[in-house]
Amino acid sequence: MSPVKIAIRDVGKVFRVRGADRPFTALEHIDLDVREGEFLTLVGPSGCGKSTLLDLVAGLTEPSTGEILIDGRAISGPGLDRGIVFQQYALLPWRTALGNVEFGLEAKGVPRRERAERARHFLGLVGLTGFERRYPHELSGGMRQRVAIARSLAFDPDVLLMDEPFAALDAQTRESLQEELLRIWGKTGKTVVFITHGIDEAVYLGQRVAVMSSRPGRITEVIEVAFDSREGDLRADPAFGEYRHHIWTRLRDEAATAHHEEATPVG
Amino acid sequence: MADTLTTPATPATPATPATSATPAGPTASAASAASASSSPSAGLTAPGAPDRAAPPYGVRETSAPGRAPGRGGVLLARARLVAQRVTAVLLLLAVWEAAPRAGLVDRVFVPPVSEVAAAWWDLALGGALGEHLAASLARSLSGFGLAIVVAIPLGLLIGWYKPVADFLGPVLELFRNTSAVALLPVFVLIFGLDETSKITFVLYACTWPILLNTISGVKTVEPLLIKSARSLGLGPVALFQKVVLPAAVPTIFTGVRLAGAYAILVLLFAEMVGAKAGLGFLINDAQANFRIHDMYAGIITISVLGLLFNLLLVTVERRFSTWRTT
Repeated sequence: MSPVKIAIRDVGKVFRVRGADRPFTALEHIDLDVREGEFLTLVGPSGCGKSTLLDLVAGLTEPSTGEILIDGRAISGPGLDRGIVFQQYALLPWRTALGNVEFGLEAKGVPRRERAERARHFLGLVGLTGFERRYPHELSGGMRQRVAIARSLAFDPDVLLMDEPFAALDAQTRESLQEELLRIWGKTGKTVVFITHGIDEAVYLGQRVAVMSSRPGRITEVIEVAFDSREGDLRADPAFGEYRHHIWTRLRDEAATAHHEEATPVG
Repeated sequence: MADTLTTPATPATPATPATSATPAGPTASAASAASASSSPSAGLTAPGAPDRAAPPYGVRETSAPGRAPGRGGVLLARARLVAQRVTAVLLLLAVWEAAPRAGLVDRVFVPPVSEVAAAWWDLALGGALGEHLAASLARSLSGFGLAIVVAIPLGLLIGWYKPVADFLGPVLELFRNTSAVALLPVFVLIFGLDETSKITFVLYACTWPILLNTISGVKTVEPLLIKSARSLGLGPVALFQKVVLPAAVPTIFTGVRLAGAYAILVLLFAEMVGAKAGLGFLINDAQANFRIHDMYAGIITISVLGLLFNLLLVTVERRFSTWRTT
């Protein structure tokens, strides 16, 4: 088995809420290991703290309790060993597709000449050869997300953190991008942590699926997903349906509990 | 009266590059807005190899639906629009010509436009108009230029340091809502009646729109862009230089354009109070000495000057904000 790449140890995150007496516990007792080269999906209802967890791993915020290790070392802030892909692309609108991919390379200090070459290569990898000079507003949502993925791949991070990257796309575009992401993952061997609220997406993409509950955000189960074969229409595979149903039931039970708690006056 | 223009650009709606009504052709902006709404089907190009091999042909079609009706249709539409606008102006001139002749208005106070044009021509040939124009332009451009040099860095500073912005906010709001013209007597008191007071006055009036737009431009940079840049490990300096500044440029430019309009507008007031040259002086002096034709010649000059200046700034602004269409 591959070594552990990301180790999340008893991580909690508490936010102080303005105007409220008590702080808000977004995450509690999160324990999770992500192995090197693994594709892990994190599924949970909206507001369960998925993005908060991703921000912690990215080093954009610090955990209130516990620690996060990458390659055995505690993380200290953001770094180019991790690349993030956001749902809303986060492309610089005044830069072309090429310029956007180069942006990460500039941060890394790659020499100017090499930048354009590498940016071109990665735009090609995501299927955008010929679109280098387009501005984000001249591209469709799916293409923008491809640019964002290329940008994150270009500076060659070990870990790719993806925060519901396909949620804003239409179903067809999403499916084609899922397929491509798997292809790219197979080619580059990155460790991927992929957040989604879509159960199908989680099962389709993940080697393992971590299921999260909300209030406070916790990981309730980690499911190994294995198919005999990934050929053909995977979503029609009976095993796919079983995984899907299993997670669905779990999330529904959670939702029912959460709803119950919400209905009960607090304090 | 300058107050109507004082509203700074609201960057909350980045969809409109120009906040106030601009006389420049809406044809261009409409076309660019249309081409900006790239169809979502553009992303549907098949995954994998065919996608990569495909030239951008398919997308070129979808991303430029504005050109769909063909060149001829567009030209025709544009010609129609130009005709529409010219018609309105011609109509105005016709009324101006006919009304005094028909005795609808007093010919002494509102002479026909043809007579005004003749007077303008005489003034221009005699060199007087050129002198006045040069004096006005020198003051306007000095004040305007100084305002750019002062207000943009100051605005960047205030906008970037949130505590400073919060601290100065109420004061800025107060000054913003005080018409510069109301403060003209103060400027005359402090700086006297010479060039210094006029240039400072223009500088003062032009500073506000630029300053306020720069501040809001910096403050309203899309937080996700900052987050994304931070995740790449960018330090504060690089973040400012590569993300905040370019993101703020269009908003800053809207302020610059507003200031451009002020530069000419408020100068007139200054020149009417105590000056020996300048278009404001010309208009006032001509009126006082009952050279009514010259007065109108001065007025026409100033309005055409304002129009051209704004047109120039709109063009420059558009160059800097081409990306701001989504």
